[in-house]
Amino acid sequence: METIHENSNNNVEDEDDMTGDAKWQKDAADQNFDYMFKLLIIGNSSVGKTSFLFRYADDSFTSAFVSTVGIDFKVKTVFRHDKRVKLQIWDTAGQERYRTITTAYYRGAMGFILMYDITNEESFNSVQDWVTQIKTYSWDNAQVILVGNKCDMEEERVVSTERGMQLAEQLGVEFYETSAKENIYVKAVFERLVDIICDKMSESLDSEPAMLAGGARGQRLTEQPQGNSTTNCNC
Amino acid sequence: MNEEIDEYDIYHQDFTTASEWEIFIARIEEIIKDWRLSKSSLSKLSGGYTKKWIGKSEEIQFQGNKYILSYHMLEPVKSAEETVETKNNSILVDLHNGIWESTTKFMDDLDGSPFPVSSWYGLKRYLMLYSSLPLVDGNLIKLVMSSANIAFANTDCGVPFFVKIREHWQPTYLGFYEDTEHKVSFDTIHLKRISNQCSHLSGLVSLFKSKIASPVALDAVVVSTKFSYELKDVDAFAWRKTTQSNEFLSIEGFDVRKLLELPFGSEKNPIQSVLLNTIWPKFRECAIVDSSTFSEYDPLMAPTWTITLKMRENFNCQLSETISKIMDLLDNTNLLMDTLGLSKSLGLVNPLHKITEAPITISKLVKAAMGQSKHMSDFKGPIADDLLMPLLYYIFPDAVDDNTFNYPEQLEVEFKQVDGGQKLCSYVKTSPEGGLVWRVSVTAARLLDAGGLPYLAHLWYEFCQELQYRWEHRILVPGVADGTPNARTCLLHQKLQLLNCCIKRALDGTGSVAGNSSEDEFFDCSEGENDEQLPWDRPVGRLSKFGDATLKNGAPLYIPRTQDPAPKTEDQLEEDAELMVRLGDDAKASELRARMMSASLLSDMEAFKAANPGAELCDFVRWYSPRDWKPDDGGALGDRMLLPGNPWVEAWSVARPVPAARQRRLFDETREAEQVLHFLRSRTVSTATELLLPAILRAGATKAHEEGVPCTSSSVGGVDTRRTFEIAARELYDAEREACRSLCLRTVLGTSEEGKPLDVAGRNRILSAAGGGLPAAARREFTLRVRDSVAPQVMRTALATDMTIIGVFTERIVCL
Repeated sequence: METIHENSNNNVEDEDDMTGDAKWQKDAADQNFDYMFKLLIIGNSSVGKTSFLFRYADDSFTSAFVSTVGIDFKVKTVFRHDKRVKLQIWDTAGQERYRTITTAYYRGAMGFILMYDITNEESFNSVQDWVTQIKTYSWDNAQVILVGNKCDMEEERVVSTERGMQLAEQLGVEFYETSAKENIYVKAVFERLVDIICDKMSESLDSEPAMLAGGARGQRLTEQPQGNSTTNCNC
Repeated sequence: MNEEIDEYDIYHQDFTTASEWEIFIARIEEIIKDWRLSKSSLSKLSGGYTKKWIGKSEEIQFQGNKYILSYHMLEPVKSAEETVETKNNSILVDLHNGIWESTTKFMDDLDGSPFPVSSWYGLKRYLMLYSSLPLVDGNLIKLVMSSANIAFANTDCGVPFFVKIREHWQPTYLGFYEDTEHKVSFDTIHLKRISNQCSHLSGLVSLFKSKIASPVALDAVVVSTKFSYELKDVDAFAWRKTTQSNEFLSIEGFDVRKLLELPFGSEKNPIQSVLLNTIWPKFRECAIVDSSTFSEYDPLMAPTWTITLKMRENFNCQLSETISKIMDLLDNTNLLMDTLGLSKSLGLVNPLHKITEAPITISKLVKAAMGQSKHMSDFKGPIADDLLMPLLYYIFPDAVDDNTFNYPEQLEVEFKQVDGGQKLCSYVKTSPEGGLVWRVSVTAARLLDAGGLPYLAHLWYEFCQELQYRWEHRILVPGVADGTPNARTCLLHQKLQLLNCCIKRALDGTGSVAGNSSEDEFFDCSEGENDEQLPWDRPVGRLSKFGDATLKNGAPLYIPRTQDPAPKTEDQLEEDAELMVRLGDDAKASELRARMMSASLLSDMEAFKAANPGAELCDFVRWYSPRDWKPDDGGALGDRMLLPGNPWVEAWSVARPVPAARQRRLFDETREAEQVLHFLRSRTVSTATELLLPAILRAGATKAHEEGVPCTSSSVGGVDTRRTFEIAARELYDAEREACRSLCLRTVLGTSEEGKPLDVAGRNRILSAAGGGLPAAARREFTLRVRDSVAPQVMRTALATDMTIIGVFTERIVCL
């Protein structure tokens, strides 16, 4: 990572504007979507974030995934109201030590899936902490859905559905109990989150017509750091 | 088949002998029928109307001239649309009521419809025939009027019909409305000079009466009068001027304090004119005598005074000007240092120059402190030293022993207020209010305003030089919030935070010690351990015990001192993210990413190994990822950690016991600092502007609030930086103009509303502003009205430099 970073930085500043244009065209060419949403899955370690993401993106389930190192992502394109929406879903490490690294990626995320494990009290108790993290590091209008995962493990349940609902209500977010293993409500959570984001987006478009020209698509194109062109990336 | 078509064509050949005039009439009829305006088909709307006028129009050719027939109506309130059986009569009643009600208003109280006839006569709908060439010839006017009359009668039209006559600029319209019993005529006279008879009330009353020519005695004529006075010397309304923007440039009167704020307000008085209307709303014809020789009208005694303000359409606002000058730079993609011709010497054009030619590192401030004379080779910018030095001392107040401009001890990064309205531009990322970023940004804006781009570039150059000096001499940059780059602040502030992180790190260990403890470089080991230390696996870099936890081998588990992840600014993070995205999202890419992210994992493992000699991976996991640790058998790895190809296992196997202090640093302050400095120096005009704009916009917003602009609740999200700037700038433009306007309104009107009667205080203020007495009336208007046995009869006269008399008279159609 270090070396790559070095590479990418040396000439970036000088090339900013020259590469800018070329990149636009390149992007325009391989863009087969209308909107792109950046989503993040957060929550304590081993609540099932990676499994949840794999269930959604690949429709596969493995009982154990390697504990995520730092941060990873998957892409899935969905159709929403005749629009192709590309979801860039970031999967984060839940360990305390990774907080600084992962929170750096909160910015620019339009939606969060905040996950706890219904068989693990501690993960539920940490939800409030995670909300604080979102408030501190994300955009103000990022949307959040609270998810209690592993609802297939009813015998080991320690967090009741009611408590989950109560907390969600208190936080003013929507709530689902899911199972990545049994594929319960996994797709629903993502679809709901996309819908909420769409609603929010059209809402702000209504209130601020000046924004129309700079909708989600424009944002995606211009918010990407420019420079850092492929020639610099020897990875 | 073909034959049939031919026959059809022949059939449509016009063999009639209709004249052009007949065709003209027929065309008008056709249009009126098309629009369904006959008395019977006109729906009478029981509900009300909105204040919006809607209309439609058609073109007609007649005698080589283009006519436009248009229909205008007030938009009805939608819900109340119910068609009631219409009696022909009710349309006329409605018309008369409208005419009578309209007499409480004056001719210049326009209602927003395209032609003034609706406000003159209180109409809710009318037809207008408008010729593209002025209708001045009397015969032609008669011809057109008769055509209209015939068409009106043939279609049984239910809407008053007007024809625009005379020159286009003259407010002259002839109109009529008829039903089976009555004829209503709408007449206009417009003269460029005021005729003697019509210049006073008594003359107008007799004209009015003669026009009605009532066979029986009339009731007393009711009169309304409005005299309007133009108050030309509007500056008398103490227009408050704000700071002259470029004043600070003259060295004599130079005061940095004038830089602290952005200018605000209009440069010129935004009021174009103030019109005072003195109104006598209603009196009988004999109550006030006004004849050619004598007048009882005394404006000071008029029951009602109102004010009509006319604002300039385009008045320059100072804040808006300043900001738009900055915004203009966003399209300039040249290197900022090119403006000064410095790109080469700073090594910005060819990176090799950086090696061969040392950049100029001595800042002005240092030289000033050392009292050095200037070298010949020194760069000399467009800003004179006399001006430049105070500016730099203002931005870097710690460089001088004067406390005037010191930054506050505690710099708060202002977060959005939750309660109540939000400040303007609250969606623009901020930096501590009044901090260094604000000072340098606002100063840059003022310098740009005063001396153009070279001034701004010169300031930027000196700013970068000073930062370079501070880095090299390990002097913290003042006026920047503590800590690692805060992504809620603007990028320039983040960069300075990062630079300060570098300087701090360099100060702490002169580069040799890394670790998350900046205060002490020594790693304390408990005393007991010091005694039994073994040279080859002496535990080092311990922070504290991890509760009562023990290693698998039974020794207590120590949390090691670790390296903090490298602080990064948002552009660097975005670059990182971009890099990861480019790898794609397959399993291989995922593995690669894990490897990329392992740097800090490896560092932590090495520190752990150093602090806990003989530790196993499960011991590390117990501290690092407790859910992957199982207590069985003194400690074991969870399932996830046992998967093959596990990056944790791999990292553990290559990790050597190295305390954080001796590890390769995750954060290389020298490289990072140089990058920050290079980043700043190598900005284009446009990207430098992007760095400066947030603070300028926010400072502008603060200024606007100080000037009394209320909070709003606009929220902008999900748009790119450029767009956000544009929205914010627009918001400030509007706010400033609105503030100027309302300030004017208040100074002129006090607590009264425009168009509403003034209170006593208001009358006195206006009178004193006018110098105690009023000038000659600029415009006089009389409305005369009476109800005779037929209907209301109304005549209005407006006397200014010209004379306009309009009248609406209804007569009974007598068929003898």
